Amino acid sequence: MRRCPDCRLAVEGEWARCPLCTAPLTGESAPSPLPAVPLRFTRRRVLRVLTLTSLAVIGLSFLAQLLFDADRESIGALRSIWLGVVATWLVVLVAAGKRRNLAKFVVYLVALAGGVCVYWDYLTGWDAWSLTYVVPILCASSLVGLMITVRVIRMPVGDHVVYTGLTVLLGLTPLVFLALGWVGTAIPSALCGALSLVVLAALLTMRGGAVRHELATRLHL
Amino acid sequence: MRPAGHRRHWVRLDNASNIFLAAHSEVDTKVFRLGAELDHEVDPALLQEALEATLERFPLYRAVLRRGVFWYYLQESDLRPVVVPETEHPCAPIYQADRRTLLFRVVHHRRRVGLEVFHALSDGTGALWFLTALLDAYVRRRFPAADQPPPAPERPDPAPEEAVHTLTTDSFVQHFRRRTRRAGRAGAPRETDHEEFLREAAPAVLTVERAPAAPPGQAPHRPAPSPPGRSAPEPTGRDAAAPPRRVHRVRGTRTPDHRPRVLELSMPVAPVLALAREEGVAMSMYLTAVLFEALRRTGAGGRAAPTLAASVPVNLRQFFPSSSARNFFATLTVAHTYGAGDDALGAVARRLQEDFRAGAAPAALAQRVRRLLRLERAPLARIVPRPLKDLLLGQINRANNRGLTVALSNLGRVTLPEPAASHVGRMQFQVSAARPQFCAISHAGHLTITFTSPFVETDHVREFARLLTAEGVEVTLAASRTTEAELAAVGR
Ligand SMILES: [Zn+2]
Repeated sequence: MRRCPDCRLAVEGEWARCPLCTAPLTGESAPSPLPAVPLRFTRRRVLRVLTLTSLAVIGLSFLAQLLFDADRESIGALRSIWLGVVATWLVVLVAAGKRRNLAKFVVYLVALAGGVCVYWDYLTGWDAWSLTYVVPILCASSLVGLMITVRVIRMPVGDHVVYTGLTVLLGLTPLVFLALGWVGTAIPSALCGALSLVVLAALLTMRGGAVRHELATRLHL
Repeated sequence: MRPAGHRRHWVRLDNASNIFLAAHSEVDTKVFRLGAELDHEVDPALLQEALEATLERFPLYRAVLRRGVFWYYLQESDLRPVVVPETEHPCAPIYQADRRTLLFRVVHHRRRVGLEVFHALSDGTGALWFLTALLDAYVRRRFPAADQPPPAPERPDPAPEEAVHTLTTDSFVQHFRRRTRRAGRAGAPRETDHEEFLREAAPAVLTVERAPAAPPGQAPHRPAPSPPGRSAPEPTGRDAAAPPRRVHRVRGTRTPDHRPRVLELSMPVAPVLALAREEGVAMSMYLTAVLFEALRRTGAGGRAAPTLAASVPVNLRQFFPSSSARNFFATLTVAHTYGAGDDALGAVARRLQEDFRAGAAPAALAQRVRRLLRLERAPLARIVPRPLKDLLLGQINRANNRGLTVALSNLGRVTLPEPAASHVGRMQFQVSAARPQFCAISHAGHLTITFTSPFVETDHVREFARLLTAEGVEVTLAASRTTEAELAAVGR
C-alpha cells in the first residue's frame, strides 16, 4: 500500500498523490476497494430543463393568443395552425412525462386536450364545436383506448381503476353540457355519456372490490 | 404469481419516515449504504441466491412506495431484486416517483458487498438485520460445511451503540427487553406472510405501544445512573432547550454530478477506544470532538460563528423494543462554542458527552417516543393532503439543516453470526450527505469511518486523519474518485 508521508497514513488504490493533501505518495500501490465510477452526464437534468422551458413557452403562447382580435380572418387561420402545433407539443411532453403509467397519461391527455380545444373555441368566437364534438369524441375514444390497453398489456386492476374511474367521470361531463344546453348537436354527447355509464356499471359490478380497495388505500385517513 | 383476486397488502408510511420523502433530492438522496468486505472476490450468482433467500424472510424489503391523497404507503410487490456490479456512485437515487421500484439495491465490487436502502423504508439498524441475514446466507453457500451452526435468528440483537451503552446500563431496561423479545418470538405460531409484512412494516412507534406490558415510556423512566465522579445534568430534552446560536456551516465546491465525496478511513478499533477512555468519554463523542477540532483547524473557528453543532441519531430500539424494521431513532444535537472556555479536545468531548447524555437519558427519550406517538395520531397530520405535507416537512428539514454544521452516525460494534463472521473483515456504513457527515461502524476489530460530503474539499478529513495518526493510530485511507481530474487519472 502507498503511504502519505505528510498525513502519515496508508492509501489504498492507485493514487499518485494523497487524496487528502496532494503530497506525492511513496511505496507500491494496492488495488482500490472502491470502483472508479465515470461522471454521469445528467441527461435527466437536461430533459427537465427542456421540459420546463417548453411548458413555459406553451403557456405564454396560449396567453399571447388572447391579445389578438378574433374577427380578423388572416389571424384566425394562423392562430389555428399555431394552436395545433403547440397543443401537439404539449401532448408529446405529457406523453414523455407520464410514459410509465399509461392509464394516468390518458387522464392527463383528455383533460389537457379537452381544455386546449375549449380555449381554442373561445378564441375563435365560440361556436361550441369543442363541447359538441371534440370533448365527447376525445372522452369516448380514450375510454375505448384505455379498455383495450389495460387488456393488452395486462395491467393489474389496482394500477388502473382510479384512472379509469377518472376517465369515466370526464366522459360523463358531456351529459352535463347537454343538460345545460351548451351543445348544438346532441348525438356525440349522448353517445359518450352512454358509453361512460356502461363502463362505470361494468367497473362497479365486475371490479367493485378492487375499486373499493384501491380507493380505501389512496384515500386512507 | 399471486392468485387472481389477491389484494396486495399495504401499510401507510409513518410520519417519521415521511421527512425522508419530503427532503430527498438529487444531492441528498436519503439513501444509505451498509457494506462488508469479504476475504475473497464476491461470487455474484451465489449472492443472488442468497438475496432471494433473504428476501423470503424480510417481507418489508419487497415493498414499493406509492402515493395516496393523504399518505405515502408501502405496498407489497412481486418485484425480484437483482444483484448488480457497482457501476453507479454510492448512495445514488433509489426512489423515483411514478417508477415502481424496490426501495433497496444490492451491489458488489471485488471483495465488497453493499446494501443500499432508501431511508424511508428502514434505518441503519433495520438494514443491518437484512445485511446480516444476507451475509449469513451467502457465506453458507460459498463455504458449505457439514458442521455448520444453525442459521442466525431473524432479528439479531441490535448492536449496542457503544456511546449509549456506556451511559445507561439500566437493568430494568435489559430485563424488559428480554421479556418482550421472548414473548414476541419464541413459541409464537408461525406467522403468515401477510402478518409478517404488516408487523415488519408497521410504524415502529406503534409496535412499541402494542408490545406486552409496555405502556409507552413507562419502562425506561428511571434516570440513567451517572458515572462516578461526575454529576448527571437534569434529563431535559435537548431540543426543548433554546436552539444553539448561529452555527457555523461548511461551504464548498459542489461535486460535478452530485455524487457524494466519499473518503473512508479504516483503523484498528482498540487504540481509538483507548484514546476515548483516556478522556473519559464514549467513542462517538470523542470522534465528534476530533471532527470539531478538525473543522476548527480548517478555519471554522476563526469566523464570526464559532459554534459547531452536530446531529447524532440514537437507536430507540435499545430502550423501546420493537419488532418493526422501520425507522426508529431519535436525533440529538450536540454543540460546542469555541473561544468561550476550555477548547482542548478532551474538554470539548466531555462537554459534548454531557449534551448527549441529557438527550439520551431514558426520561428524555421516553418523552420523544411519546411525542412521536402523538404525531403518529395527530388528527391534523391526517387530514393534510400529502403534497402539502411534503411541502411543510421540506421546510422543517431546511430549518433543521440551518442549525447543523455536521452530522454523524455510529452503528457501533457489529457481531455477525458464524460462519459469516470469520469471512468478513471491515464493514462500511455511509449516508448521502446534505452537509459534511461521517458514519462509523466496527467489525472484527476494524473501525471504519466513512466521510461523505456534497463538496469536493477534503480539508476537514485531512485534519481529522492527522489528529488520529498523530496519536499513533494506524489509519488506512480509501478514496473514491470524484472530480474530473481524479477520474482522468485512473490507472495512471
Ligand atoms: Zn496526505
